[in-house]
Amino acid sequence: MIRERLVGWQHAFDHRVTVWITAGVAALLVLACAAVLLLSATGFVRPELRRELWKRIASWAVLAPLLLAPVLLGAAWFIAAVAALSLLCYQEYARAMGLFREKLVSALVVLGILFVTLAVADHWYHFFVCTFALFPGIIAVVPIFQDRPQGYIQRVALGIFGFMLFGVCLGHLGYMANDWHYRPAVLTVLLCTELNDVFAFCCGKSIGGPKLAPNTSPNKTISGSVGAVVLTTALAATLGHFVWQDTRLDHPLPLLAFGLIVSVVGQLGDLTLSSLKRDLGIKDMASVLPGHGGLLDRFNSLLFVSPAVFHFVGYFLGWGTNLPTRILSGP
Amino acid sequence: MTGPEFHYEPAHDLGLPPVERARSLRREAGLVETFGHWIWGRFVRVYFAGWHRLAVKGRSRVPAAPPFVLVANHSSHLDALALSTLVRAKWCDRIFPIAAGDTFFETPARAIFAALMLNALPMWRRSAGRHALAALRERLVGEPCAYILFPEGTRSRTGEMGPFRPGLGMLVAGTPVPVVPCLLEGAWRAFPPGAAFPRPRKLRLFVGEPMTFEGEADERAGWERISEKVESAVRALGKE
Repeated sequence: MIRERLVGWQHAFDHRVTVWITAGVAALLVLACAAVLLLSATGFVRPELRRELWKRIASWAVLAPLLLAPVLLGAAWFIAAVAALSLLCYQEYARAMGLFREKLVSALVVLGILFVTLAVADHWYHFFVCTFALFPGIIAVVPIFQDRPQGYIQRVALGIFGFMLFGVCLGHLGYMANDWHYRPAVLTVLLCTELNDVFAFCCGKSIGGPKLAPNTSPNKTISGSVGAVVLTTALAATLGHFVWQDTRLDHPLPLLAFGLIVSVVGQLGDLTLSSLKRDLGIKDMASVLPGHGGLLDRFNSLLFVSPAVFHFVGYFLGWGTNLPTRILSGP
Repeated sequence: MTGPEFHYEPAHDLGLPPVERARSLRREAGLVETFGHWIWGRFVRVYFAGWHRLAVKGRSRVPAAPPFVLVANHSSHLDALALSTLVRAKWCDRIFPIAAGDTFFETPARAIFAALMLNALPMWRRSAGRHALAALRERLVGEPCAYILFPEGTRSRTGEMGPFRPGLGMLVAGTPVPVVPCLLEGAWRAFPPGAAFPRPRKLRLFVGEPMTFEGEADERAGWERISEKVESAVRALGKE
């Protein structure tokens, strides 16, 4: 049973929502290519915009399989992928903040992320929660021995902030894989969070109107934000209905709340990263993904959605409650 | 380790793709590179102690902390590695051998190796312009960091030391940065240009008194005087 969950790729398409989302993403990519080809053939878009669109599609063509494959292959792959994402996001954050020059603090944050991953892979919730309290302590205490109080507050605070964002918050996404039916749930969260950005972009561009937070993120409009809330909530609630059919969650109100959480909290994560970037005076965190910027520019919405969804769904159903725990460390 | 205080300052190479980053003069090491430089430094120390029985005379003359420039005669690829053993491991991210771009940074694999392990910065011989030297000078004083530099500009093909070029002067003229003249003996016999592997020959490294050129004018005449002074200091080390 444990082995099946961790590396049982045969179970990839056990659930119909998994099949729908995988097929849907593939179809969306093909459709997007076709749409851009059609638009260029009719001469409807300018060459610069066309290049920009192609760059985005190419990025997604690489990114989508990279996101889908670990989820489908098994829990072990997914947990490893989330750990890699946490570390890479921390790297971008640290390089943008200047925190990477503080090797000791950075090494402690990396250690913290590794311990969170260990707890997740072990399916040991108690240890998982322990790290949230212990590592902020460790990050604050160990630098004392450098005996260099100048700048102590900044490096420790930034280190703990980084650990909380990328170790703790993203760690919840990995922990979902300890549930037997994690694939449809995780894919729903990933798809809705990413589409949330797309919906906001499209609604904002087509409706226009007043800005949401012009000083933080000059391109976001209120219309885009509201449009995204409506569309994402509808999509997430519909998918949620099929994911959690015949459970305590499968009622209109909880499903609606689930959709609202994904959309609203996702946008808040986006704005959080925008605030960081504005304060530092940079546009993108990095340039790994052509057309997107850094990994963090793409996955910022996921930061707070992961723990929010984890605890919301956990309140109703729990995660992996009927499966063996402490699979690595246990007796 | 930039200084006592913390600055919200993004990495100077932020946003560069990996290979361009490796070739950038503004490259700053992250955790992975720090580990690479440290491990490489350990290996180099063991290698020189074991294979070449490296003997150093005047190690205490090397300044305790950057900025400084280590300068030596150049006759083999061992030279920069031998000089790097003079610097304490805690500075492994701050000591940059200035290496020929066309040898060490041409292919992506070499560029990544040079950045990740050697911590080298490229000097492109075809276009070794003032712009690159100005960037190096700014970093030397501003960060501060340390360079390993061979003012001859290329490895000697005969084993004899060639004349120093004025590039060194462009880095340090009018600054308080000390230049440490060094002389490496035996490297040409151990690993001459064209040889496939270094032979286990004895190496001797002489370290001279640091020299500063704060009063020297930052112009051609000053650069040439600096190069001449350092060149004669290096030559004098051989007759000590």
